[in-house]
Amino acid sequence: MIQLQHISKWYNVGGKPVFILKDVNLLIREGEFVSIMGPSGSGKSTLLNVIGMLDAPSEGSYEFMGQSVTSMKEKQRTELYKKNIGFIFQAYHLIDELTVYENIETPLLYQNVKSAERRAMVSDMLDRFNIVGKKDLFPAQLSGGQQQLVGIVRALIARPKLLLADEPTGNLNSKQGEEIMELFSKINEEGVTIVQVTHSEKNAAYGSRIIHLLDGRIESVSENSLKQV
Amino acid sequence: MLQNYLIIALRNLKKFRFTSFINIFGLTTGLTCCLLILTYLLYESSFDRYNKEAKNVYRVERTFLNPENGALSLELGAVSPPFAPLLQSDFKDIKKITRFLPASTTPMKWEDKIFNEKKLFFADENLFDVFDVTLLKGNPAKALTDPFTVILSEETARKYFGDGDPLNKVVRFNNQFDCKVSGIYKAFPPNAHLHPDLLLSFNTLRDPAVYGEENLRTNWGNNAFYTYVLLPDGYNHKTLEAQFPAFIDRHMPNDRGRFKQSEGTFLTLRPLTDIHLYSHKDDEMEENGDIKRIYTFSAIALFILLIACINYMNLSTARSVLRAKEIGVRKVVGARKWELIGQFLTESIVVCWVATLLALLLTWISLPWLNQLSGQTLSLSTLLNWKIIGLLMLIPFITGILAGIYPSLFLSSFQPIRVLKGVLKIGGGNISFRKVLVVAQFAISIILIISTAIVFQQLHFMQQKSLGFNKDRLLTIRYNGALNNTYESFRTSLLADASVREVGRSSRIPSGRLLDAMDSQIDRGDSLAPSKADIKFINADEHFLSTYGVHMVEGRGFRGEQGTDTASFLINEEAVKALGLKSNREAIGKPFRYGGRPGTLVGVFNSFHFESMHQRILPLVVQEAKPPFGYANISIKVAGNIPAAISHIEKTWKQFAPEVPFDYTFLDDRFARLYESEQRQGAIFSLFSCIAIFIACLGLFGLSAFTITQRMKEIGIRKVLGASTRQIVQLLSKDFLLLVLIAAVIAFPVAWYTMNSWLQEFAYRIPISAWVFAAAAIIAALVALVTIGIQAVKAALTNPVQNLRTE
Repeated sequence: MIQLQHISKWYNVGGKPVFILKDVNLLIREGEFVSIMGPSGSGKSTLLNVIGMLDAPSEGSYEFMGQSVTSMKEKQRTELYKKNIGFIFQAYHLIDELTVYENIETPLLYQNVKSAERRAMVSDMLDRFNIVGKKDLFPAQLSGGQQQLVGIVRALIARPKLLLADEPTGNLNSKQGEEIMELFSKINEEGVTIVQVTHSEKNAAYGSRIIHLLDGRIESVSENSLKQV
Repeated sequence: MLQNYLIIALRNLKKFRFTSFINIFGLTTGLTCCLLILTYLLYESSFDRYNKEAKNVYRVERTFLNPENGALSLELGAVSPPFAPLLQSDFKDIKKITRFLPASTTPMKWEDKIFNEKKLFFADENLFDVFDVTLLKGNPAKALTDPFTVILSEETARKYFGDGDPLNKVVRFNNQFDCKVSGIYKAFPPNAHLHPDLLLSFNTLRDPAVYGEENLRTNWGNNAFYTYVLLPDGYNHKTLEAQFPAFIDRHMPNDRGRFKQSEGTFLTLRPLTDIHLYSHKDDEMEENGDIKRIYTFSAIALFILLIACINYMNLSTARSVLRAKEIGVRKVVGARKWELIGQFLTESIVVCWVATLLALLLTWISLPWLNQLSGQTLSLSTLLNWKIIGLLMLIPFITGILAGIYPSLFLSSFQPIRVLKGVLKIGGGNISFRKVLVVAQFAISIILIISTAIVFQQLHFMQQKSLGFNKDRLLTIRYNGALNNTYESFRTSLLADASVREVGRSSRIPSGRLLDAMDSQIDRGDSLAPSKADIKFINADEHFLSTYGVHMVEGRGFRGEQGTDTASFLINEEAVKALGLKSNREAIGKPFRYGGRPGTLVGVFNSFHFESMHQRILPLVVQEAKPPFGYANISIKVAGNIPAAISHIEKTWKQFAPEVPFDYTFLDDRFARLYESEQRQGAIFSLFSCIAIFIACLGLFGLSAFTITQRMKEIGIRKVLGASTRQIVQLLSKDFLLLVLIAAVIAFPVAWYTMNSWLQEFAYRIPISAWVFAAAAIIAALVALVTIGIQAVKAALTNPVQNLRTE
């Protein structure tokens, strides 16, 4: 599904390039659950952003579902990514001025889904994740765990094939974190490919494969024997 | 999608109440100004268009030149009586010609009611073919046909006859002749260029006792007949105009010596619908509007709206930090750039809709009040027309896009991963753009302050400048033929009371215009030679100049020798120069001939302001009229208790002219009225500049409040490091003050240029002084300083620990 070849990313600081990613090669198959780990500044988030097409690599090629992302035009890339990728953030990033319902509905608006269909899809998701009672609340009225749940539902509403999560449990307590991870496993079992960035060994262990980054390079890849695809 | 945009727009309006208030308040005010001006503009440009034939009617206008040098000497909207029949017979293209001859103030009497009628005209019987005049009673085919018939406006009829039937009633004209009421017409609408109260049949003039056929055929000098031609549809009036010079030479008796008549006078045609806005003849029937004034006010209104739009742009981009996360999230979940642009434009359009609706309400409320200020009779119903309503519907969209396009382009270009990581950097570029906008706002405000100050300075100057005589305690009364035989005893009776100092008669009085001129000849060595000078005249008796306190600088005044063969002439110092005389002394005793009347220059009086300060002091000759004609006004200088003097004058008037209602004006009021339109312009100017600077400050207030909030942490750190409150206030105010100074530098040349050209309208004007500019800049800077200072001080006084803890 995802094939990264010789991906590098650098910034010029005072005329000298500072590498964030250095010659990363990575293959992720459909249905995988991959955890990316590494110390602060190792390039985890940048790698995730490159995969999520929010950031362009300075060098290297990226193929997503057989299409070359690096040679695509902005417009095609947006279309590709809109249909196939859902994003989850550490800080949830819900829109404060919108209710739970409206937050979840937003991605569908941008995909020109008809009003009746939108209502059906959102209601269905609200049901599935047991948050029907919260649909008219604003983000500020929810706990962190609940906000992240809304964030996940929002990421899933458009039925993406790939879910990208940047430290999804970073702002949550361990119990909430565990619940989110359980949810991820369930989603993964339903066929959604997941790539998550995490600090926590425990959370990383939910993945079928763990990629360790250090200074922009892939230091090691460990297969999780318990979670073989 | 739109629904979602609307929801978030409204929630944002509610969430950022203060900013929303500034935006909506500013836009509402700007739009209100625009709507008021639009109403004014529509009304002003609707003049005379109610006539079905409006597009085909032209007024024949006459201009006089000095054939010696081609200089304009007089521009009239009317022509003399022989023209109309000759035009009709020479030019077959002219479908109809109709005329109005204004009568001067005339007492009209019915039974025991007498009124001084000021808006009385003689009108041709075919009036109804050219103008849309609705006859409520009477037969339009005949109403103005017979001599000695009159038609009245409804109001006038009610004034005389109450609810009784006015038809066939007989009213008496100036105790001279009777005329029969043959019709009642609906008053001309307010947007007509004339508003007659009574229309007498033109055929009345054919009676020798009134004016006479002979005069109508030969009196080329009486240019008082407003003449309108009706041309066929789509006819180019220029083709007709081109034939006028030959027409003039064909018909006018040539009394200009070596010049052809057409070298000294020409006729032009002015479209009826242009009269109100574009015509500024020396003898307009009523005070006209002015297209320049409309342009000025429109520009100011648009400037105010622009200032409000700038507020919107500034506050929206400044607050972008607060919206950054939302933008990032939307982009991440799939929003394309244009969808975000659409969203932000929706927001600005929503704001503008709210503002437009409020502005309509405010316009409705403020219109009566503006009418009072401007002397107009505007009504919101002017806007109730489908075209205009359509235009009004566009306003929120246009304004919304104008105000919103920059913020939406700016906001929608955020990079999602940057803003979501919280490393939003607002680039140097947009900060300086925001500064440019603030500079623009203040430049506009400073220009308006300077303009207002100069308008008022000029007004003050015109009212304070010495006229060359004392205009106080001077009363003027219209002269009436009833006094022809008894004037001397009337004057003696007036002077019998100590409250009346002096009484004089004249054809025109100061504050009026000087429109009468004839050719003059001056002694050149051994014979009289035509002078090239353009000299105006008035008729006046021997007491006129002393009534006004105008003093003789050389020679003597009249001695009451009117009627003798050789006349005495008095001239002013300007005329001395115009006649090419070396000194006032040289003028005395010179043989002089004016309008064919031989005589001698006996005195030179000081050049006083006869007309308003708009006009230069013109060369003027004062001659005694040949009785019984020639005087139209009586001027009376009073002393002591004015009410007592007036009652004495009224009593005397009643005794000598019982058939003429007593009506008087004070000369200083008449002079004040000359500057009424400038006065109003000044009032509206100052109102608008206050609004402009207030909105600009409101924007500055919002912007600085925001900037200071953003810098709270910095302020905290500086305070911990030992900065004093004063230093912090300085730090925060410095940048904005610099912007005001830059604005001043931009505003100065613009203001100088515009006001300098405005002042050119006045023959007597103030020099533009530097201190006005300095003062305007200081005012703007002070206002800005106070606006920012309030918040800067508040910020500087906060406990730094609080600011630092919030991080």
